[in-house]
Amino acid sequence: MKGYGLFYFIAEAFRGLRANSIVNLLAVGTISMAMLIVGFFLLVFINIQSTVTSLGDRLEMSVYLKDGLTEQEKDFLRSRLKIEPGVRKMNFVPKAEALLLLKKELKGQEALIQGLGENPLPDSYEIGIDPRYADVEKLEALAKKISGYRGVEDVSYGRQGAELLTGLYKLITYGGTALAVLLGVAVVFIISNSVRLALYSRGQEIELMQWIGATKGFIQGPFLLEGMMLAMLGTALAVGILAAVFYTLPQELVAILSRPKGLDFLPGHIVAYMILGSGVLGLAGGMVSVSRFLE
Amino acid sequence: MIQLYRVTKYYEGVPALRDVSFTVDKGEFVFVTGPSGAGKTTLLKILFCAEHADEGQIILQGMNTFRLSSSSIPYLRRNMGFVFQDYKLLPHKTVFENIALALKVVGTSYGEIERRAYQVLKKVGLEDKRHLTPPKLSGGEQQRVAVARALVNEPQVLLADEPTGNLDPQSGQEVFRLFRDINMKGTTVLIATHDWETVRKMQRRIITMENGRVTDDGKQLPRQLPIELLKPGPGSVPFEGEP
Repeated sequence: MKGYGLFYFIAEAFRGLRANSIVNLLAVGTISMAMLIVGFFLLVFINIQSTVTSLGDRLEMSVYLKDGLTEQEKDFLRSRLKIEPGVRKMNFVPKAEALLLLKKELKGQEALIQGLGENPLPDSYEIGIDPRYADVEKLEALAKKISGYRGVEDVSYGRQGAELLTGLYKLITYGGTALAVLLGVAVVFIISNSVRLALYSRGQEIELMQWIGATKGFIQGPFLLEGMMLAMLGTALAVGILAAVFYTLPQELVAILSRPKGLDFLPGHIVAYMILGSGVLGLAGGMVSVSRFLE
Repeated sequence: MIQLYRVTKYYEGVPALRDVSFTVDKGEFVFVTGPSGAGKTTLLKILFCAEHADEGQIILQGMNTFRLSSSSIPYLRRNMGFVFQDYKLLPHKTVFENIALALKVVGTSYGEIERRAYQVLKKVGLEDKRHLTPPKLSGGEQQRVAVARALVNEPQVLLADEPTGNLDPQSGQEVFRLFRDINMKGTTVLIATHDWETVRKMQRRIITMENGRVTDDGKQLPRQLPIELLKPGPGSVPFEGEP
């Protein structure tokens, strides 16, 4: 298109925003409320996720060895464990050291192990699990695989902890996704209504443009951009409100909420995704109305 | 330029056009007349691809409209100007902006818009009123702006639906004179009107319609016929400078 394009669309979109300022202000306000909810849940999600990840870092698995293994057999087992993708780090704990640790843990109740005579504890490898394996099914599969290795007596890991972590992950992921989808649909609906009002207010102009040879793209471009701008403005406002509230929270409350790890605000890239994502939703909302109107 | 072959159009089962066939050559000036409900507006809407015919074939500027995709219609319309009875000017835009819109939709550059809008407004004698909005103009002036907008892209065909329907006789004559001048420069003009007096005086081809049918396509007078030979009817207003 000679002499026209994005610049014309932007100018027309701003003209449309100004022309229906009351309706558009209401739309921006409503979108910012919806995006405030999305932003709040994202904030919670990100902070829980980082806590869960830090807990995942501490996930361990104990691989108990059979008695009487030679050094070569232990070395061979070590090398096999080392190449397992779920193994982040590993530490050999000889049976004597294990007993010492047990005694330390049972301090004050040493009587419980006094009658044992010979050390009943086996040698073991204490494995640090890769956080990406902090999932019950993956841990189960890894434990089963290692149990089958020659020289391994038993494998144990914090199954309950892993189940809790997995459950928490799923709850946050699925719940957050469902909420985001729901609010995303709401944003599309709000935008489509707002753009529809703009279309009706300029119906005469649009009809005329069709008569004088304007293409569909030329007519709908400014309205789609208007929808995008409304959604992005609403989201930017929501992020602003969220940031203002977050950074003015009373320090005592932050101290309570931030255990064991400090609270973080939404990272820059997440804010960018939110604004861009809402722009896409705004575009979709605009498309819904414009296509119907032009038909 | 325009060919219709047995075109029929129904609205909710009721025929608005029945078996309409005619041809308009390049550079011709044609009136379509008939009483209200004769099908004149439907015919123009079909020619402008605002409506689809249910039966028959239409060839516009060498293109069969049945084979046109909806995305091609804007490009066809760019070669056709359309003048409406109610002018269809945007009341909040100035005369200049109304003209400029027609240039903008076809992607004309800003500098070119200035130049061409001024030229076409000069042609219709409204260059001094380019900064006014349509409500501040008389009906005749508004229709001249509408004609200017239809002409600014130099269309090959100009269609007009009752262009003088809302005008006093004097303003109507001025608008018709504009159409005549446009036609003299080679644009094909097709006007739907029931202003029989003007039609008679303009001495051009007349297609008469009634109940959706073409009832007469034979009242074509030679274009060279001296205007002096025609006597104005009672109550008619002569063109300025004409006997």
